Amino acid sequence: MFKRTLIGCGLWMMLGVMGCESSPATMEDLMPASQCMADKPASVMCQPFTGALSSCKCSSDDYAPRYSGSKNDTWPTCVSDGNAFVLFGTSTPGASARTVAFVSMGTKLWKNSAVPSAQDMTAARDEYAVANGIGSRVARRQDIHYPEVPGTNKFACNDLTIAAQNPDRCAGPAKLKAIIDDAFAKGIAGTKPQVQSARIEAALLWFFYLSSLSEVWTSSFDNAADVDSAWAYLSGTERSKPIGLGQYFQQLDQETYDRAFDAVLAARCWRDLDKTLPSGCNLFYQRAASQVDKAFTRGMALILRDRIGKLPTLSGEPQEAALSFVNIIGLLMDRAARAVDPAKADQLKTSTQAATVAGVNVGQAQSLIDGLFGCP
Amino acid sequence: MSSRRRKSARVVTTLLVLAHGRALAEGDPFQTVVRAGREDGVPDERAHTQVSRTDLERRQPRSTPDALRYETGVFVQQSAHGQGSAFVRGMTGQQTLLLFDGIRINNSTYRQGPNQYAFTIDSRTIGSIEVLRGGGSTRYGSDALGGVIAAYPIDPLWSEGQWLVRPELFLRSTSADSELGGRAQLQVAGPVAGGSLGFIGGVGYRDVGMLQSGGQVENPNPNTPLGRYPLVPAYAKDGVTQLGTGFRELTADGRFVLRLGDYQKLTAATYHYLQFEVPRTDQCPPPYAPAGTCLTYEQQFRHLAYLTYEGKLSDYLWPLRLSVSVQVQHERQRLDDPSVLVQRIGTDEVLTLGFVAAARTRPILLHRRVTLSLHYGLDQYTDWISSDAYRTFTDLNQTAKQSRGQYLEGSTYSSGGVYADGALSLPSSVTVFGGVRLSYAVARAPAESLSGSRAVNQSWLPVTGHGGVEWKPQKVLSLRLNADHSFRAANLNDLTARQQTGPGFQFENADLRPERATTIELGAILDHSVIGAQLWAFETLLHDAVLKVSKTDAECPPATPQCVGSWTRLQLQNAPSLSELRGLEASVRLRIPLGLLLRSTLAYTWGEGPRVGSLGYGTTGVILGERVPLSRVPPLHGSAELIWQRASFELSAGLRWATMQDRLAIADYADARIPKYGTPGFAVVDLRSSFRIGDRVQLGGVLENVGNVAYRYHGSSVNGPGRGFMLSMKID
Repeated sequence: MFKRTLIGCGLWMMLGVMGCESSPATMEDLMPASQCMADKPASVMCQPFTGALSSCKCSSDDYAPRYSGSKNDTWPTCVSDGNAFVLFGTSTPGASARTVAFVSMGTKLWKNSAVPSAQDMTAARDEYAVANGIGSRVARRQDIHYPEVPGTNKFACNDLTIAAQNPDRCAGPAKLKAIIDDAFAKGIAGTKPQVQSARIEAALLWFFYLSSLSEVWTSSFDNAADVDSAWAYLSGTERSKPIGLGQYFQQLDQETYDRAFDAVLAARCWRDLDKTLPSGCNLFYQRAASQVDKAFTRGMALILRDRIGKLPTLSGEPQEAALSFVNIIGLLMDRAARAVDPAKADQLKTSTQAATVAGVNVGQAQSLIDGLFGCP
Repeated sequence: MSSRRRKSARVVTTLLVLAHGRALAEGDPFQTVVRAGREDGVPDERAHTQVSRTDLERRQPRSTPDALRYETGVFVQQSAHGQGSAFVRGMTGQQTLLLFDGIRINNSTYRQGPNQYAFTIDSRTIGSIEVLRGGGSTRYGSDALGGVIAAYPIDPLWSEGQWLVRPELFLRSTSADSELGGRAQLQVAGPVAGGSLGFIGGVGYRDVGMLQSGGQVENPNPNTPLGRYPLVPAYAKDGVTQLGTGFRELTADGRFVLRLGDYQKLTAATYHYLQFEVPRTDQCPPPYAPAGTCLTYEQQFRHLAYLTYEGKLSDYLWPLRLSVSVQVQHERQRLDDPSVLVQRIGTDEVLTLGFVAAARTRPILLHRRVTLSLHYGLDQYTDWISSDAYRTFTDLNQTAKQSRGQYLEGSTYSSGGVYADGALSLPSSVTVFGGVRLSYAVARAPAESLSGSRAVNQSWLPVTGHGGVEWKPQKVLSLRLNADHSFRAANLNDLTARQQTGPGFQFENADLRPERATTIELGAILDHSVIGAQLWAFETLLHDAVLKVSKTDAECPPATPQCVGSWTRLQLQNAPSLSELRGLEASVRLRIPLGLLLRSTLAYTWGEGPRVGSLGYGTTGVILGERVPLSRVPPLHGSAELIWQRASFELSAGLRWATMQDRLAIADYADARIPKYGTPGFAVVDLRSSFRIGDRVQLGGVLENVGNVAYRYHGSSVNGPGRGFMLSMKID
């Protein structure tokens, strides 16, 4: 058939050079109309929380693939109903490589049973600084909880001057980059390498938290396939074998991790129902983004709670490292806490921003976290 | 025909003849079309054009590739202001062959797609450039799939009587890119024992600033997520000055020619080109990266020295030409990445030793009115590669060597072949052409375990050839039919290189096979002193064409986090089925009354290959068939020049135009250099003038881009210059 086509095309000299266009046989990334109506199942219900979370209220507007394959929630049938993440794009996103790099850096730094050496620090920094590595994304990461930078450029945070003027929105370049750069420099120089490792760990966990939220946002207007990155920054693996941020969540609370995974599946479901760019379905986008935000914030709160709890059990540099970690993640959680209860946020901040362990009221801080971020 | 029409025809004919006579008396500015008839030139029966020194002085090109913009079927892409790559029949870079004085400039590190190396031939040392369109492997070996660009240096003065000394000074300034520079040149010629000696040499320097465009080229579809403007280039606040442009350049050359009687010539020449701080525009910064991120060619050097003997020794060696050459291509790239406080330096150097022996016979009478002329010869080139890479943490000034550079240190590549190429003149104005070549190529590269790089040990023995026939039914008219089979052996870039390219991260394929091109072309040539015209149609079938194919993260080579982390990962692969290019090329030259001379060109190329891989990350709303366009094939484009010349004065106008190109390959969708989705068309007019003051001073002025059009050659990172002047002065 192809030969015949070529022979036919070979007659072009007499017939002109145009033509012989192959007819389109397949379609890629074609944009169908958005499906943006909430489902109305026969029996609308949600899976009640149990155990320590039994006081939390479930919602049938949350996507719940673990509960009868999403049949009873108000989400229409979609690609995520099989309770597994199906890539939107054609291959695993680069974000997966960054999650793998984070794990690898962890073995050299904060999970290193020995004090990280200068070589460990240098090797970890090389992984961080590789082209298209974590560092390249830290430098552009936005915290979508804050208003966008004024103007039409949604990626204005790439400009370090603009980032400095908008530090909350441009959290990656304006806040995290400085912490990480400083920690690597001091760590390589041999200045309290465990402290520096903890600072890097905290800043990167903050980055991964922001990243999943940010990728859902950019998926709505810039690149629909960014929803794959939202999953990849959580773990980039199947549900039962999380790595990276997902593993942190799982080790602290299985249900919180599962809710986070449900949330990225919700985002993927939204992008299955609505492939348009920019998104034509604010209903499901908002639901997915909200579900991601709530579950991930709860996960980060658990990480903070856990590290605060370890402070009294440590001493020396490990204790200082844990406090540095708490200082950094505490800054992150302040916005979320303040959104729930400013007074409690003030109390929590007193502990998380303490300069010494003595300044941390462990019991109170943990109690405040439980109250502010009790439900995933 | 009515009497009125006949009368009109007679008037037109008379005017044309008058115009012709006047033009001949004043010199022929049509040397771009009419061959100068070099003995060592490209095959005359093939589609080709020539740029003369006169054209170069008239057009005032910024570089050697820039000098080709008015040539039939040539389309010049630029990834940077200080780089340029000519497309010929839809192919460029490693798929076209660059020669300088008969010596291959191509080496085994030429990458797939456009490259910067034609820029490293100093246009101010060039006497003429021939562009052969279509395959040329029979005569020239590997790489000559799309065409051959053969540059010839300026030869020194020749004097058998007395010693002559001719110093020259050339200065130029431009406004669009604030260029300031020039060249000092010296020619000496005179008699020596047994012959005459000539020397030409010079040094040049220029400092080129950031390039101002006529505005921002827009995306044809403003409804893509990117909105109105492509991601590259980045502009300064004035909206027209393009960041990531500008460079400095230093050149030096010397050429001795010893003529021994009428039949022998010995040439010793050396050419040095040193370019500094050339930012690659689409990587300064790359899309989405912070300002300050920039890939810069800190050093792009080429050193060439050669010794050539040319002698007319017998009927079968008329002449014999022997060349021994040594060439060093040196480049040092620097990636500044402020996002991670890192600077990456990579240095690659290619040492090439070459030997060429080429000979021609005088026409051999085989039978009454049947003669045979033969070209034959052999050539051999060997490359030695050194390559390394370093990473520096800029805050700590801590540097570490990486396990490998862009290439594998210690790689070698040898290629060459033997050929015979003949022309058989038959009665009835028919000439039959044909030739065959046996080539070889051997690629060797060591393994590198830390980076997971495989060893390469490949060799090929391609056989290529061509045949054709010319029929001249009239003295001024000839019809030509040519068939050519050419090849390009996979080189060390294909087999071993890892690099960030425009569309994404590209990694090696150690199993690539040579790509082969079979071209059939049909030409009609009208060659009258008043009017000349050429029309060529061609079809090229590419076997095993090398395509950039998108890959998954799992297919990245081991230990390449920069690959898995990329948005788009690409690997070169041989296409599973035929790719094809076809097109039309036309040119017209016409002497018209009032001493005006008109030259115009038009070319269209259509390319298509099998669909391999999938669309890049984030491409939306695109429907692909089983066969897709080939990458960066130029759109319908052309040029026109109108010239009015007097003894000491010349005015000319140049028009370059192109239609929109929205036939994109899969890799093109991920290429930030290409607007979404296609490059808009343009038409740009330049006005030029030159005049002599006395015997020694010549002034030139060009008003370029009169309409201040925002335009971009398809596939380029950089927009063309906006409206501006170019002033030059030559003192001799």
